[in-house]
Amino acid sequence: MEEMGSYTYELVVPDIEVPWGMAFLPDGSLLITERVGKLIHFRQGKKTEIKNLPEIYVRGQGGLLDIQLHPNYPENPWIYLSYASSEGEGKGGHTAIMRAQLDGDHLVQKEVLYKATPNTTAGQHFGSRIVFDEEGYLYFTIGERGEREVNPQNLARDGGKTYRLTADGNIPKDNPFLQGENALKAIYAYGQRNQQGMAVHPETGKIWIHEHGPMGGDEINILQKGGNYGWPLVTKGQNYNGTQIDYPGATPEMISAIHYWTPSIAPSGMVFVTSAKYPHLKGNLLVGSLKFQYLEHDVLEGEKVIKREKLLEGIGRVRSVVQGPDGFIYVGVEGLGIVKLIPQQ
Amino acid sequence: MKIKISIAVLFLFCSCKNQDKQAEGLFSPAEKEVEQISSSPENFSPGKKVYTNFCVQCHLPNGEGIPNIYPPLANSDWLTEKRKESIHAVKYGLRGEIQVNGKTYNNIMLPLGLSDQEIADVMNYVMNSWGNTQQKPVTVEEVSAIDE
Repeated sequence: MEEMGSYTYELVVPDIEVPWGMAFLPDGSLLITERVGKLIHFRQGKKTEIKNLPEIYVRGQGGLLDIQLHPNYPENPWIYLSYASSEGEGKGGHTAIMRAQLDGDHLVQKEVLYKATPNTTAGQHFGSRIVFDEEGYLYFTIGERGEREVNPQNLARDGGKTYRLTADGNIPKDNPFLQGENALKAIYAYGQRNQQGMAVHPETGKIWIHEHGPMGGDEINILQKGGNYGWPLVTKGQNYNGTQIDYPGATPEMISAIHYWTPSIAPSGMVFVTSAKYPHLKGNLLVGSLKFQYLEHDVLEGEKVIKREKLLEGIGRVRSVVQGPDGFIYVGVEGLGIVKLIPQQ
Repeated sequence: MKIKISIAVLFLFCSCKNQDKQAEGLFSPAEKEVEQISSSPENFSPGKKVYTNFCVQCHLPNGEGIPNIYPPLANSDWLTEKRKESIHAVKYGLRGEIQVNGKTYNNIMLPLGLSDQEIADVMNYVMNSWGNTQQKPVTVEEVSAIDE
């Protein structure tokens, strides 16, 4: 066991380079996405690579990304993946959402539920978190792929948005933009940049999302149907060269974040702690920081972050965090693997 | 019937045009600018395009990096003295502790999914920017020859 700050950790799955997402199977074993294009099944101390994955476009921040099980797994045996894909016309790739089933050590019955377009060779901003809400709707994020002026504010284009489908990939009858001229029907909210954290509040059922800002201006937002989160017209970040981001056209309906991080922490991974094993963390958020290499504990009062604490300082780039069915918090750290957060004594 | 078809065709034509208008986005020139990046040598060399897409988020536009987190590329002794390691880093990633200009960095840079041509381009851009001077250009052959 290693000690970092007031929390210790135990390395439970070693040697994973980019553990982008993870999901526990009913037998307690773990499925972990390795961004370079591997799905790893960790069971009783051994790793198996799951075969028959879709073709993954490995480029910059893109690759095999998130994984979620259907809320009624295994009675409903679908597994959901987000990944960068070259499918379709044009060079490059974009975010795709697939559902499939696990048959022993390979995927079967693969179905692409959504494929964003157009393909591009840009390496940034694939978004790609997946959650199910309490009604069983499937939500996923797609980043703006480096095209801030073209994608996030345009409902006719993919990117910079949060999407909602039914679990079998259909358009919900009450999605917000079904009437809009040329609007993509799967869109649920827009005006976002690169959203790598999404979690359902255990009491309110609302979906919270965080996103990378440019230089400064990382945000936490609460998802509203049809909401415009303002990127790039409303932001607290600057360009990387220090200049202001100044576009006309901000409107009062653009939704402000409930929390901003400046300087950026580069957030990835997000979970609400409900486990009684962590009394000090229970009811609050855990968010990974890629840039500063720690796990952030955000103490909540309603919809406000009232205090921030650093856990596991210096552990490495924190990419993902989940609460396991056993009540422990598991953290995916780049260049390391999956660690279990040991509760304070 | 003929009139109805003509009107239908007219509507189709109109909605396609609207689609184009929508696809132009808020700021029409910008989309075209992105596509033409590599054909404006004075603004965007191929290497600078790679840098802007894959490197700037951490190393920042003038190669300054972020103290204690991401090492600088501008006037970096690691870049100057370790040519092969530098190319290897961009090609395969870099992990663990390194010393750059007397400061320790302990972070991880993952492989970026660049082609050998893109790696050569971005190396040449970085090695000729922000006060860096390059004695010998990096070639695609040199990049290809570097094994993991």
